[in-house]
Amino acid sequence: MPTRRFLLFAATLLTAFPAFAQGTVPVVASFSILGDLVQEVGGDRVTVTTLVGPDGDAHVYQPTPQDAKAVAGAHVVVVNGLTFEGWMDRLIQSAEYKGPVVVASAGVAARTFDDDAASSGQSGTDNEHGTDPHAWQNVANAKLYVANIEAGLSAADPDGAEVYRANAAAYEAKLDTLEADVKAAVASLPENRREIVTSHDAFGYFGAAYGMVFKAPEGLSTDSEASAAGVAALITQIRTDHIPAVFIENISDPRLLEQIVSETDAKVGGTLYSDALSPAAGPAGTYIAMMRNNIAELTAALGR
Amino acid sequence: MALVIRNLTLGYDRHPAVHHLETEIADGSLTAVVGPNGAGKSTLLKAITGTLKPLEGRIEMTAARTAWLPQLAEVDRSFPLSVRDFVAMGLWARIGAFGAVGTADRARIDAALAAVGLAGFGGRVIGALSGGQMQRVMFARVLLQDADLILLEEPFTAIDTRTAADLTAIVERWHGEGRTVLAVLHDMAHVHAHFPRTLLLARGMIAHGPTAEVLTPDNHFRARQMCEAFDDRAAPCAPGAGRAA
Amino acid sequence: MMALIQPFAEFAFMQRALLGCIAISLGATPVGVFLMLRRMSLTGDAMAHAILPGAAVGFLVSGLSLGAMTVGGIVAGLTVALLTGFVSRVTVLREDASLAAFYLISLALGVLIVSLRGSNVDLMHVLFGTVLALDDPALTLLCAITTVTLLTLAAIYRPLVLECVDPQFLASVSRWSAPVHFIFLSLVVLNLVAGFQALGTLMAVGIMILPAAAARFWARGIAGMIAVAVCVAAASSFAGLLASYHFGLPSGPTIILATGTAYLASMCFGPVGSLVVRYWPRTHLDA
Repeated sequence: MPTRRFLLFAATLLTAFPAFAQGTVPVVASFSILGDLVQEVGGDRVTVTTLVGPDGDAHVYQPTPQDAKAVAGAHVVVVNGLTFEGWMDRLIQSAEYKGPVVVASAGVAARTFDDDAASSGQSGTDNEHGTDPHAWQNVANAKLYVANIEAGLSAADPDGAEVYRANAAAYEAKLDTLEADVKAAVASLPENRREIVTSHDAFGYFGAAYGMVFKAPEGLSTDSEASAAGVAALITQIRTDHIPAVFIENISDPRLLEQIVSETDAKVGGTLYSDALSPAAGPAGTYIAMMRNNIAELTAALGR
Repeated sequence: MALVIRNLTLGYDRHPAVHHLETEIADGSLTAVVGPNGAGKSTLLKAITGTLKPLEGRIEMTAARTAWLPQLAEVDRSFPLSVRDFVAMGLWARIGAFGAVGTADRARIDAALAAVGLAGFGGRVIGALSGGQMQRVMFARVLLQDADLILLEEPFTAIDTRTAADLTAIVERWHGEGRTVLAVLHDMAHVHAHFPRTLLLARGMIAHGPTAEVLTPDNHFRARQMCEAFDDRAAPCAPGAGRAA
Repeated sequence: MMALIQPFAEFAFMQRALLGCIAISLGATPVGVFLMLRRMSLTGDAMAHAILPGAAVGFLVSGLSLGAMTVGGIVAGLTVALLTGFVSRVTVLREDASLAAFYLISLALGVLIVSLRGSNVDLMHVLFGTVLALDDPALTLLCAITTVTLLTLAAIYRPLVLECVDPQFLASVSRWSAPVHFIFLSLVVLNLVAGFQALGTLMAVGIMILPAAAARFWARGIAGMIAVAVCVAAASSFAGLLASYHFGLPSGPTIILATGTAYLASMCFGPVGSLVVRYWPRTHLDA
């Protein structure tokens, strides 16, 4: 039936290429933090689709057919890199996406788990010798991300290069302010209260950049299982170092941390956002909001 | 009447294995059920126990307790149960799911095992028994069930003559106690010797009555005419048909 | 010697972990023995998938609430168990195929519900816990389930054994057949769901089946098998927790590997029906 076929065709066009209908550049970002950064740089010229949404765990994410469709129709795909999205390569392959892939962390001085373990004084009993992908926790790296994203967008859409540069510059200014605030906040904490425990090793870059120590029972990925030795070591360390606070993350099961807390004098400090933003209505709906929220929680719990 | 069978048709997949059977089994009678292979003898017993639903007709029973010794028991022989515990199941009617097995009951169990020639087997696991021994254990369980209506399917298969004689003695004792016994058998000599009444089946009734009158060459011949296989092209049975058979 | 006791003396989480393991050893292993004897050993894995739609609906209704998801999981598991039992009694399909059919339908439903909701949260990841994180509600749940299980098993012991050995007979002398079948399957579901929530899938199913399998090589009667299974489970938990403590291994898998080692050793050297008995039999007796 000609009418039906026409309607179907029109519907497909509209659903699969909304960007074209509005003339924007379709961009796919792998997770919420990247999605926010891309939106800041791209502004009105881009339509961003985020694969791992707010409160989502990119370490164990499993892509859906919708995701494949989004990737297939994208002009630019932005990923974190540093082995964060283990599932991305296969997704790109199966979606037969041939366009540019922007690795946001290109040029970042990568840390490994061993670095994290050494700096936090752990004996590395959890046996993960991988790259730490959580580079965005250091605001300086976030600026690198922004630069890479800007370059990638400009390459794919040269007409908008001016706009992208302007947006990026404005956002970088905000990041500068943020960086100063973070440093000031950490400096305001007493020297002996700069050590905390979180669920998984997500804050290595933050700790190294701003002078705090983060310890965790789970390794680099929320998928790994804790060992009794690791938990015992953590408890002992909390007791010996008098670590004052333990922070739950928005993507992890809080029970293990609560169990640890119950055996020590530490308190549950609050919720930190590590790998994902909160929903828009929440306290960490954008990257800057997320960093400010984390810093506020840290100072509130440790500032005394 | 212990059993009243009215226009009973039993079968599988709509094909009748027992076709329009009409007869009565008297209280306290000792009846052999005989017929060629595929005559519907086991099927009839299954229907009496309620395991098989009739395609047509009905069975009326007055017995309070029925005991059944099936031919192909679905017993899981690999289950780690001792002979004594297995036979003790026969006491279910009296002690149910929670009742204790008292000293008197234990004596009864031992007596039952002795009666079937398995004294001293109480501790053995059922998986370690031969076919004939398992058959006798099942018989012992029926003994303990103390039932009014006893259905036996080929109870003497795989059993040596001496034990068969012991088991026959038990059957006759049941008859003496006024219990109704129906036994499916193949050994005609045995039927003639020990069973006063016989029901000759060949998918329908051939004859039912005192053994000497039923097991005539004429009746045997008619029974042999029975076709064992189901007719794939059979038409639906007309109402009222086949009653004369 | 101190190395054996010290971790438990010093850390509360180790004590709780051991207590939780002992609770589940007492409750789940007897159920596992019966599962194994009924040739339903793979039920545990099937059930792990079958509870997904229940947990998903719990999540839809109350968000990431462990209570709602556990209740949902139990309801889904009981439904699958009930339907399985019913179909296998009333139709020509046997229990294994019936269970396979229903757990697959259930799993597909669950995946569908989760995807429709569009959330990225890995539901199962959140629902399944770890033995090192047993908080008070989880411990209470485990102990309660164990108590209920032991009392129920004691009550339905005779009909249950009958239902396993000679279901034809049980059906002919009582009306216990269907109820005892369903009660047993309910116990399986309860122990599994409580186990998943507290200890994770691997541990819950493993503790149920492996000690039972090992016990087969030690005892001839059911009571003996249950006793051996409970001891194997408790001892493996103790050994596994110690290994996890002293060598930094993940706790759940280590406990299950300890149980697995006990199973392999039993299969080779146990006194009943093992490889040693088969290939190196002792001299026969003279009567």
